[in-house]
Amino acid sequence: MQILAGPIVQILMTAIGFSGGLALAAAGITLIYMTTGTFNFAHASMTAWGFYIVFSLYKVLLGGNPYLYFPVAFIFSGILGVITYLVVNRWLLKRGADMVTLMMSTLGVDLAFFAFINIFADYLTATYKVNTRLIVLTTEDIILGKIGTFPFKAITVISVAIVVGMALFFYLLLNRTKFGIAFRITVENPSLASILGINTETIYLFAWFMGGAMAGLGGAILSLVISGTPTVGNTVIVPEFAASIVGGLYSIYGGLVGGFLIGLSQKLIINWLGSVLGGNIVVYEPIIPLLIMAATLLLYPEGLAGIDWRRIFSRSKSSRR
Amino acid sequence: MMEGILEYLYNPLVLSILVNMAVFLIVTLSLNLETGFAGIPQFGRVLAVIAGAIGAGAIAGRMMAAMMGLPAGIEYVGDQNFVIVGELNKALESSPLLSIGALILSLAVAAVMGGIMGYLASYPAIRLKEAYLGITLLAFGDALQIVGMYYDPLAGGTAGIVVPDVFRFVGTGEIRFLSSTLIILGIAILVYLYVQRLARSPFGRALKAMRDNELAAKVYGKDIVSLRAKTLIIGGALAGMGGALWTLYTGSFKALTYNRLTWTFWPWAFMMLGGTGNNLGIVLGTLVFSTVRSLIYAYKTELTAFIPINPNWLEYLLIGVIIIAIALFRPQGILPEKPELPLSKKKIESIRASLAKGD
Repeated sequence: MQILAGPIVQILMTAIGFSGGLALAAAGITLIYMTTGTFNFAHASMTAWGFYIVFSLYKVLLGGNPYLYFPVAFIFSGILGVITYLVVNRWLLKRGADMVTLMMSTLGVDLAFFAFINIFADYLTATYKVNTRLIVLTTEDIILGKIGTFPFKAITVISVAIVVGMALFFYLLLNRTKFGIAFRITVENPSLASILGINTETIYLFAWFMGGAMAGLGGAILSLVISGTPTVGNTVIVPEFAASIVGGLYSIYGGLVGGFLIGLSQKLIINWLGSVLGGNIVVYEPIIPLLIMAATLLLYPEGLAGIDWRRIFSRSKSSRR
Repeated sequence: MMEGILEYLYNPLVLSILVNMAVFLIVTLSLNLETGFAGIPQFGRVLAVIAGAIGAGAIAGRMMAAMMGLPAGIEYVGDQNFVIVGELNKALESSPLLSIGALILSLAVAAVMGGIMGYLASYPAIRLKEAYLGITLLAFGDALQIVGMYYDPLAGGTAGIVVPDVFRFVGTGEIRFLSSTLIILGIAILVYLYVQRLARSPFGRALKAMRDNELAAKVYGKDIVSLRAKTLIIGGALAGMGGALWTLYTGSFKALTYNRLTWTFWPWAFMMLGGTGNNLGIVLGTLVFSTVRSLIYAYKTELTAFIPINPNWLEYLLIGVIIIAIALFRPQGILPEKPELPLSKKKIESIRASLAKGD
């Protein structure tokens, strides 16, 4: 029994770390979508840049501790978001471009960022003679202790702490500050917000910075949970999209919850299936988030945030009465 | 003169441009039907393409093997795949009629498979909106690719399979690639004519009405659900044929080839460059892009001397920048959509003249 409990604990640890990264990135997608109406394909490369920033600074350039470079990943991908807004998205929003044009323009941005990652990876390989095409940092994590015979890695705690901290930050920002009120008005009704003298562009700029930065931080977390290639963004973008959509696209907390729902079920369901049906099934892991997303949308076409929780709650209360 | 042209066509670069252009033209036209005319954000184009490729490569091939009395079960995609397809090729080579029949069978199976995928996609398409729909369709496409990659009994998994050469009736060797390219180009032209006719038909006008104002189209008695479902089925069937032709041309099927970037996003870029909602623009956009891609691919080694980066990334950079530039500066594309007249201009003029006389 002890032998069996070990792997399950370890799988759960990995699943939690993975979900934290996913949740941050998904909330970033939601943040950008709810403010600017842009469904950001470039999140793939922003996540991958976060991944590569941690790898290159920790493993190649400076060394030390991988967590030291999380803020760098945060700021770097945030700057990528700001560039995307200032160079592309801003002008399209001013013109009132439709959803599909907004979405496709970020695909163009993604291809460019993706090219830059590869150029950077080639440069690292040429200059420092390191393999940048398959990165494994999962073994480099700080070990806090042991559960049975299995190491308890720091990333599990840190990933949850970052997500909770981020949720708390947004809660305080949106509910306790003037900027937060301005933000919420802009989301509800941008033209009314401008009439009231709110500079909506500042709000959009903030959303793009934070959206990109959260993708970068998500990528930094993922770098200690999964192994990666330059196409890592392409692999994680689908569960990120799924998490954001399941969360409902209109609530940052929805994105965070969606990330945990998708991430945990992806890792846990596939392990359960693997133990029941045999190891061959494990390759189908990427399909699980897609199935969960499809099932959620068919039940609730606007995701989890589209459900009127208050109504369900009050109905159950009234039925009790 | 004719020989001069033939000599020129034997150039592998020209062939590559032509065949890329023809296959992607079919796929992009199908995308334009769904996105340009019907307004469905089809981010899962690869779904029908890969279904068509599997239909032509694995299903039609098995049907042929079964007809010939060769093993058509799991052996067909397994170790014996090479042997069985070799036997099939021998039979196809002996009879041109059989070979043409095989081509038609493959395309028909591919169209049916693509159509089925379109029908499946219509289930979310009538319930979800905009981004939700686009990402759901994208997810469908990815899911089928993953199944194709890892479920070996379907089409050989990661190793892939070889596919019966249905172009055997035009010969083997160099002439085979040239003639099959021309045949694929011919099919692409037929698809263009069909889609163009469809766009000008009452059905096409109903699609545009639905795209521009769903409520108004409903008020005028258009059945939105059936319009969307029909569009997705037709579009899926056409895209399936596109995927099938690529498999048949290259003579092999590998699920890895049919990825989201190449078969969903590239057609989107082609469509945006040419002009969303304008079939002639699609032809232009596809021609420009496939020429650029083929040129970069062909001159990779020469390019490396001039630029400090790997030309692979140059391709991504270039296409990314083009997409951004189109979105920013010419969102309607090179050839913007024009109102399509249901009859030719001359005919309308003559009707107008006769009406004026009648008064």
